[in-house]
Amino acid sequence: MATKNVQLPELGEGVTEGELVKWLVKVGDKISPDQPVAEMMTDKATVEVPSPFAGVVKEISKKEGDVVEVGATMLVLETDASAGASAPAATAAKPEAPKPAAVAAQPAAMAASAPAPAAARTSGGAELYPPVADARVLATPATRRLARESGVDLNQVRGTGVAGRVTRDDVMGSLGAGAVSAGTPSYAGGGASALQAPSISRPGYQSPAGALDERVPLKGIRKKIAENMQMAKHIVPHFTLMDEANVTALVAMRSELKSVGEKHGVKITYLPFVMKALIATIREFPMFNASIDDAAQEIVYKKYFNLGFAADTPNGLLVPVIKNADQKTIIQLSREIGDLAKRARDGKLALDEMKGATVTVTNIGSVGGQYATPIINHPEVAIMGMYKIQEKPVIKRDASGAMSLDAIQTMNFTITADHRLIDGAVAANFLKAFITRIENPGVLMLDMI
Amino acid sequence: MAQNFDVVVVGAGPGGYVCAIRSAQMGLKTAIVEREYMGGVCLNVGCIPSKALITAGHFLHKMEHNAPEMGLTLPGKVKVDMKQLQTWKKSVCDRMAGGVEQLLKGNTVTILRGEASFKSATEITVKSKTGTESVTAKNFVIATGSRPIEIPGFAFDEKNVLSSTGGLALDEKIESAVVIGGGYIGLEIGSMLSNFGTKVTVVEANKGLLVGLADAECVQVVARKLKKNGVDVMLEAKAKGWKKSGKGVEVTVEVAGKEQTLKADKVLVTVGRKPNSDQANLKGIGLAIDEKGFVKVNAERRTNFANIFAIGDIACQPMLAHKASHEGVMVAEIIAGKKRAYEVKTVPSVIFVDPEIAAAGMTEEEAKAAGYTDLKIGKFPFAANGRAVSLMETDGFVKIIADAKTHIVLGVHIVGPEASNLISEAALAVEMGARLEDLALTIHPHPTLGETMMEAAEATLGHAIHIIQKPLGGARAGAAQRPHA
Repeated sequence: MATKNVQLPELGEGVTEGELVKWLVKVGDKISPDQPVAEMMTDKATVEVPSPFAGVVKEISKKEGDVVEVGATMLVLETDASAGASAPAATAAKPEAPKPAAVAAQPAAMAASAPAPAAARTSGGAELYPPVADARVLATPATRRLARESGVDLNQVRGTGVAGRVTRDDVMGSLGAGAVSAGTPSYAGGGASALQAPSISRPGYQSPAGALDERVPLKGIRKKIAENMQMAKHIVPHFTLMDEANVTALVAMRSELKSVGEKHGVKITYLPFVMKALIATIREFPMFNASIDDAAQEIVYKKYFNLGFAADTPNGLLVPVIKNADQKTIIQLSREIGDLAKRARDGKLALDEMKGATVTVTNIGSVGGQYATPIINHPEVAIMGMYKIQEKPVIKRDASGAMSLDAIQTMNFTITADHRLIDGAVAANFLKAFITRIENPGVLMLDMI
Repeated sequence: MAQNFDVVVVGAGPGGYVCAIRSAQMGLKTAIVEREYMGGVCLNVGCIPSKALITAGHFLHKMEHNAPEMGLTLPGKVKVDMKQLQTWKKSVCDRMAGGVEQLLKGNTVTILRGEASFKSATEITVKSKTGTESVTAKNFVIATGSRPIEIPGFAFDEKNVLSSTGGLALDEKIESAVVIGGGYIGLEIGSMLSNFGTKVTVVEANKGLLVGLADAECVQVVARKLKKNGVDVMLEAKAKGWKKSGKGVEVTVEVAGKEQTLKADKVLVTVGRKPNSDQANLKGIGLAIDEKGFVKVNAERRTNFANIFAIGDIACQPMLAHKASHEGVMVAEIIAGKKRAYEVKTVPSVIFVDPEIAAAGMTEEEAKAAGYTDLKIGKFPFAANGRAVSLMETDGFVKIIADAKTHIVLGVHIVGPEASNLISEAALAVEMGARLEDLALTIHPHPTLGETMMEAAEATLGHAIHIIQKPLGGARAGAAQRPHA
């Protein structure tokens, strides 16, 4: 009998590790190729990790809750000898360098049979992240070590010291560790927040004596949500502006288009119209599609529109992203929203589908609530909220000044913005411009691509 | 039953033993395999014995040349007992190697004596006189070093044709020697032999000595001293072969297309070293090795097997003990789970010729290649330093290369007395990104050789105290700031 190590495969661009949420197999289980063996949580998605080989689970190398690096051995399979011989060990190779301690093949088993090494192999030592500091980077050896240990790429840090020297504070700033005490997180272009968990106090909770309670680990997506929310609230000074829009025309237009959509097999909701109106408004107010690079002390204006939309799933809040939403039609947007939302609920989203949003919309109103004060998805600087449609009476005056009651459809909108970048009056003008568009959906045609 | 470890280090040289000690310090179950000497080439047939002999030769030279001027005369000529010299040299080596063994044991590192051979990425065999045992480990560190390069026609027999090992083991005076290779090993051993009265002829294929190993101006100082001490240097000369001639050898050398023969007692071949990557079945398990014979590694010194690391001479240039030790510590910590990478700015180099040469950081050419277009270069001569004069060792200088815009010290090149001991300050300056002012404004104690560093920094800024900056520099904005020719 031979053994094979099942290693954590690549989980997505730039993802180097994941948290083991749940084992789907146990020691002694017979498994077939491509059978999922574990649920891994990375960044925001939970993914199932398949085994590339068939075999019987001999050993489980990681515990639930462990953080596992890409390429690290997750479990050891006992495969029968012929299968072992036909499948070269090199197929298990992963380009990423696994964590050394986890890499080790099972020495006893190795000695017994395996002719070829089962340890992970690369073409000559994997590339490192962060890359080694360039010869021109000015940083002391101690600062270089701090950067390496913190995962900060010194080549990307702008030194604030004499002659561009990268100081200890510069490294800590890039890390975001000092976020609470006026630290300087940096914006990593295109990706999700580059920040690590901020170093804020994590008070314990002492249950009162004799109290009935149950403790479950804070892990997986819930843990990630907790970290992201906490970080966003620490870094971004939020403020929210609220207003009501008369969406009678929008309701009429949408119900008209609904049947057209059905012919295409697409359910048309209000969300794509809101997205279109939002993009058109942002073109007038580009600071809503920006980020702040604190480390560099720069504002990053993004010339593309990747729209995140909040999706409620059984696992928690997820934010799928529609890339280049400005270049897509209402039909395309509707189809993509439907597809992403379904896969978010099923836990089948790829990580890359939740990365790189430039601004986010939350449609909490579809569940309920008149207004909310959402939290910005850092490093974005704004989030728009849309709420439930209600029919309301309004007073109408005719030309003679006579009053009468009229029924209109209303929808509340909020814009929550990063006050460091966006002033209150700017947000008020932004919301006004947005509402003008959403109240006159025909006008949207003028901005369409 | 195979012994099993967290880390097995193969080779107990200055890379391997340091790595093993740090691994044990990190709480890892560690073993080290050594087939020959504790401390490796460095402690036994390299750095340490050569320094012992060079010190003795230098001492002798001073007794003969400097002592009389100081009023110290001996009744006759100093008698050299080569056998006692070797005994003393061996005691120095044994003491250091014994210290290594004590340190390994004290840190509970298991010492396995024998020849290691890889069976797989997780198992080696260790073959010794008493038998062969199997050893498994989660991680291996290959630190098996390098050995002298042989050139065609000059197979080492250590009787007539000596490698550096044989050159350091001579227990009787030889009248003459041909040294093939004017690199640092050839010149160190050649100068040493010359101090003991051997007529030395250096045969070098390049246009100069120490090509690519040291700043050309520093080499000039050494070349002058070699000539003064009676060492012949043949440049652009190719050694073709040798034959036995009486008790000695006759070496055929080709210079400018013409062959000539050199008679000598011995011929020493020191044309460099090559990695021992053809041993220990490294290729057999599929370890990636480059065209020069170095094991391919990344900045963590990890090989194509994620659990196998390579450090020291077998991993990459420069083949220097202190680089190997630095890598050894780093790799042990990586195995223990720390995030580390090889990202030093400089590996200082020292050449124990007369006078010594030492360097840290970039040469002028390297600085320009790295994009520093505007350089400030300054020099300060040992002749203007009180301590050097009192030592009767005034040859040489300290030269500093800095970025003209920021005054950041990019490189320091020293030729002169105790250059090897002076260079550490320069290495720190380069690593810290120090500016010329940092060196110039640090009070250096008087009277010491170290003052030359401070003065060289001042000279680079254009205003050294103890020289009139001519012709080495100009007192006002002139030659001191001119890019060095």
